[in-house]
Amino acid sequence: MRILLVVFATLVLVGCGSGKKADEKAFLESLDSAKNSGTSIDQEVINSVLQQIPSPLEISVLLKESGIKYDHDLLNSPDNIASYNSNYKKALNLGIFGTDLGYTNIYEQNQDGIKFLASIKTLADGLNIGQFFDIETIGRLASNSKNLDSLLLITTQNFNSINEYLQNQGRSNLSILLLSGGWIEAMHLTCDVASKDTKNKELQENIGEQKIILEQIILLLSFYKDSDENMASLLKDMEELKGAFDNISITYLYKESTMEVVNGVAVIKDNSTTTIQITDQDIAKIKAITSSIRNKIIG
Amino acid sequence: MSEEILKALTQLFAIITKQDGGVTENERQFVINFFQSELDRDSIKEYLELYDNFSGYTRQGTADEEEKNKLTSVKDSIKTLGICKKINKTLTQKQKVIVLIKLLELVNSDKHFTPQRLEIINTVSTVFNIIKETYKFIETFVISEKIEELNFADILIADSSTTKSADLQKHAHVHIEGSLAFMRVRSVDMYFTKYLGDQSNSLNGFIMQPNRVYLFSHGSTIKTQEGVALYYSDLVGDFNEEIQTTKLSFNAKIDEFKFPNGAVGLRDVVVSEGAGKLIGIMGASGAGKTTLLLVLAGLEKPSKGNILINGFDIHTEKKKIQGVIGFVSQDDLLIEELTVYQNLYYNAKLCFANFTEKQLHQRVTQVLGNLGLDQRKDLKVGSVLDKQISGGQRKRLNIALELIREPAILFLDEPTSGLSSRDSENVIDLLKELSLRGKLIFVVIHQPSSDIFKMFDKMIIMDTGGYPSYYGNPAQAVTYFKKVTHQVDSNRGQCETCGNINPEQIFNIIEAKVVDEYGQPTNKRKVTPPQWYEMYSKQFKINRLENVKEQPPVALYIPTKIKQAAIFIQRDFLAKLSDKQYLLINLLEAPLLALILAFIIKYKSAPGGKEYIFRFNENIPAFLLMSIIVALFMGLTVSAEEIIRDRKILKRESFLNLSWNSYLLSKLTILFLLSAIQTFMFVIVSSLILEIHGITLAFWLVLFTTSCFANVLGLNISSAFNSAVTVYVLIPLLLIPQMILSGLLFNFEKLNNLISTKGKVPIVADLMATRWAYEAIATYQFINNDYESAYYEYEKAEAQADYKAAYLADELQRRNRFVLEHYETQDDSIRKLVSRNLKIIRDVITEEPIKSGLETINLDRDLTVDKYSKKIGELLSDYLGKYRSYYQKVYNDNVSLTEKKMTFYEKKGVNILEGKNRDYNESLSDLVRNVTTKNRLIEYEGKLIQQINPVFQDPKTEGLFNYRTAFFLPEKNLLGKVVSTFIFDIVVIWMMTLTLYITLYFEWLRKLIESFSKVHLPVRMT
Repeated sequence: MRILLVVFATLVLVGCGSGKKADEKAFLESLDSAKNSGTSIDQEVINSVLQQIPSPLEISVLLKESGIKYDHDLLNSPDNIASYNSNYKKALNLGIFGTDLGYTNIYEQNQDGIKFLASIKTLADGLNIGQFFDIETIGRLASNSKNLDSLLLITTQNFNSINEYLQNQGRSNLSILLLSGGWIEAMHLTCDVASKDTKNKELQENIGEQKIILEQIILLLSFYKDSDENMASLLKDMEELKGAFDNISITYLYKESTMEVVNGVAVIKDNSTTTIQITDQDIAKIKAITSSIRNKIIG
Repeated sequence: MSEEILKALTQLFAIITKQDGGVTENERQFVINFFQSELDRDSIKEYLELYDNFSGYTRQGTADEEEKNKLTSVKDSIKTLGICKKINKTLTQKQKVIVLIKLLELVNSDKHFTPQRLEIINTVSTVFNIIKETYKFIETFVISEKIEELNFADILIADSSTTKSADLQKHAHVHIEGSLAFMRVRSVDMYFTKYLGDQSNSLNGFIMQPNRVYLFSHGSTIKTQEGVALYYSDLVGDFNEEIQTTKLSFNAKIDEFKFPNGAVGLRDVVVSEGAGKLIGIMGASGAGKTTLLLVLAGLEKPSKGNILINGFDIHTEKKKIQGVIGFVSQDDLLIEELTVYQNLYYNAKLCFANFTEKQLHQRVTQVLGNLGLDQRKDLKVGSVLDKQISGGQRKRLNIALELIREPAILFLDEPTSGLSSRDSENVIDLLKELSLRGKLIFVVIHQPSSDIFKMFDKMIIMDTGGYPSYYGNPAQAVTYFKKVTHQVDSNRGQCETCGNINPEQIFNIIEAKVVDEYGQPTNKRKVTPPQWYEMYSKQFKINRLENVKEQPPVALYIPTKIKQAAIFIQRDFLAKLSDKQYLLINLLEAPLLALILAFIIKYKSAPGGKEYIFRFNENIPAFLLMSIIVALFMGLTVSAEEIIRDRKILKRESFLNLSWNSYLLSKLTILFLLSAIQTFMFVIVSSLILEIHGITLAFWLVLFTTSCFANVLGLNISSAFNSAVTVYVLIPLLLIPQMILSGLLFNFEKLNNLISTKGKVPIVADLMATRWAYEAIATYQFINNDYESAYYEYEKAEAQADYKAAYLADELQRRNRFVLEHYETQDDSIRKLVSRNLKIIRDVITEEPIKSGLETINLDRDLTVDKYSKKIGELLSDYLGKYRSYYQKVYNDNVSLTEKKMTFYEKKGVNILEGKNRDYNESLSDLVRNVTTKNRLIEYEGKLIQQINPVFQDPKTEGLFNYRTAFFLPEKNLLGKVVSTFIFDIVVIWMMTLTLYITLYFEWLRKLIESFSKVHLPVRMT
């Protein structure tokens, strides 16, 4: 009899919820009290800015050329996806994994690549954009390492279509986060390589050039600073990063373009040059801030 | 008799005899005789010495010693008291009466009655708590040598005279010289006898000394020198003459009885008897003895003829004679798990609602005593293999079960088969005694001993083919058969020297074979059954008894239906509790299975494989299904044998006309209780191991419901089939479809086209309890887990809006474009397509709450091939654009609400990740959201069907009774009301259970199967 009582007591305890209704009420009240951020965001402006940002995947090509070896520990771990619950995190990390996938592909690290693919698919599902990843095609391609190129191609294309789709669906905020994530990961990788390969001028300049892109990202994020707390906080971090770029000067020397004939085809040659002045300290500073932002995102 | 008692008795003997003149030789001889009957040769000497010592016996007794004895008599009295008190502590009242009689006899042996001796005996009787009148009565019986002196109501004298010798005593006429006196000591219900005369009669094979008192125990027989037997039961009956003769008439006229296969089982049997008769039915095997018994008892209906009890037809007026008939079949009808006492007790409880507990107990104890089972009353009956009580005791208990309610007419099928001759005699003796108390008893008997054979009042002898060949006094049966076959010494029915009758002789005569020329017996009978029957019909004219014109005596008070159920429950519960194996297996099965299952599927599921996290356990969907199968399996196996096992007992109880409903409800109560315990243990153990939180109660409810469903299903098959093996073979047949159509193993969308309907669960699957149970628990876990429940409403709105904005709008737009391009075509097949597309668009928009921009058109009229125009097309396209952006906004709003709620919780200090890991399961979520589907939207039979996110969809309302939806929808329509799938599904399973209960109650399955088995090819018997 006593056992029965204990059992029923546990049953009752287990069965009881934790006052969810009270929570719901408190939440709705908090919504009411928060002012409705009335500023509507012009999608078209955002879309036009978004279009100017290059895909972060392109950056990684530079890395391989630098001759630095593949470093698995630099990348985000697919195991972390369990903790990405909000769309904000999902989108940012989807960008990060996109860059990571590109990185593994350049180094032909197929095994890791497949893991990243799976993570990408999961995150995309979570954002209701899973339809861009046909799991059957991916599965088939992934079963053969030779197919990785086409896999990458599909994925890159997918990222482009996702961006387009999100903008179409009025979810540009996700698109921005996707790109921001990708960009931060690219910065993280480049800075790391640049700090090891200090002689690589091209890499350093490439980092310097990102000043322009960062400004655009900041501009994009600023559209949401009133309506989205998360994006507002990211914006703050990005602005801090921008501070690190302040010392870098980019001078653009304009020269008249000339026309040349190469193999019987007329080609317009751009003779303008851009000089970027960047110091090792700058890079170290950028690297530190980038890492801290990245850690916040992937954590 | 124990040494201590014997010593005490010896002392008593010594004290009594040494009074007033000391021991005489006769008295000493009596003591020696007593020792001889109780002790072996060596011990006699020892005790005799003791006796001599105490009594001061010497061969040369002197006057001096006598003097001394007188002086010490006071001391002796005290000693006597001490000894009697000692005896009081150990002997039963019955034994004490015997001791008293022995003491009286001792003194009587030499007729040396002195006041002092009698005084001591009187003291003894007082200490023994024997009342004065009884003592006087006993004293008179022992001492008196003249029958006239025995003028008491409890004395019966059997002699050859025709009149009583004293007013009060009873008398029986027996051919005997001298007279036999019988005494009944009422207080202990014992009988004693003594013989006054010169013949040497024997009591149970021992010669009776004249004027000595013998205990006339149950089943005793006295045989006179002439071979006349006096049975215990006869005499007991004589004592009980004051019992009213019961008003009873039994008239059976069976003109013909045919078996279902058309063979004739009985022909022209007439039985007409009244109360107080013991009738035997004999015959060669296959002669139709048992058939006759079944027909007489009303268990089989004669093809022609009727059976009347007090004028009431046994078949058409069942109500009037309810409880009158008792039937003891050859089968064991005991509840093996209960004790002898409990078997009887519950049976009595079902018969006597008017009895108090005390009365019940008394009745049961009395019946047990009558049948000599009182020593065994607390033993478990046990199965035939695991015997706790002997075969004879089993048989007696079977009979006791019928006897306890004292039916006026009792039928017994071979009550002595498999019993020792002693046991057989006891049983028949008991029946004889019953018959003397006014019961009418029919017994099918096989190879009875001479004594048993003679105990019957009448004997019916059947011959092969159901022909009767004898009806009358058993002792005369041999004479009859010898006579009609013209044998020598046909007058001698029994052995001259021993008085035995050999019933085998009868069958030797009946079945005597014709001998061929080589002296070998052939297969041909000398006298065929019809010939015997011919002689029979000439010889026996059975006088039809006048039908008694009153209700037959019944002492039966059936309890109310509720009380019956309570008694059934109690009985079944006790039976199950006492079956340790059953109990252990059933209670351990569930936690053990849970342990095995949960242990095996618990792995380091966290990403990176470092630890176990519920959220990432991919086995959870399969685990839920397995749990349901386990519940189903346990429920089925535990109930599948229930009714089969009870069938024999049900047959017995059918004479009581007990409520079938009460019986079933008692079964269900116990089974449901067991299911509740089993499933509860399963849920607790598996939830603890797999760290499943927050759904314990719901999970248990689903499993319990499933198990109860299986219980009733099991009872159905249990009531329909005859053997446990058949039932167990059937279980896979019932379980495997349940697994196939559970919805998890095979996708409902990918089943045979004949049964599958896109967007709806197939109807065949709706017949499966597993599908409902699975849907209930899967949706409940997903929607109500502590993590998801906070966001479910937003995610639902999000998913619905996303579907509309991202898929439906585009799909409709595409179709609209097609229509716009082709609406003017004359091509019939394209027109058909246009019409179909328009219908789809129309259907979707009709259901859509947002219709702004379409106010100017009438959907039903304008969205048809005839009325469609470019203007309408453009209007529609415009509308769809707005429709899309509207839902995009709804989607984005809900997304941001979700995000905000998460932030809200985070601010409150809730660890969202931890909560999700604990409460949310990814695999289950993938399952109920159907994320693996390739086509989120398909067209099926002119309708667009959403394939993705069933758990976020709303059910469509299509009529009051249309319950059908896709699998895993969160809500359903129950008679026009929207209820959660969890509740709906559980209600459905209970409805199925109720339906099964109805089929069980009416035994439809059994009747169906019986109707199948009745179809047979006509086979002509030649």
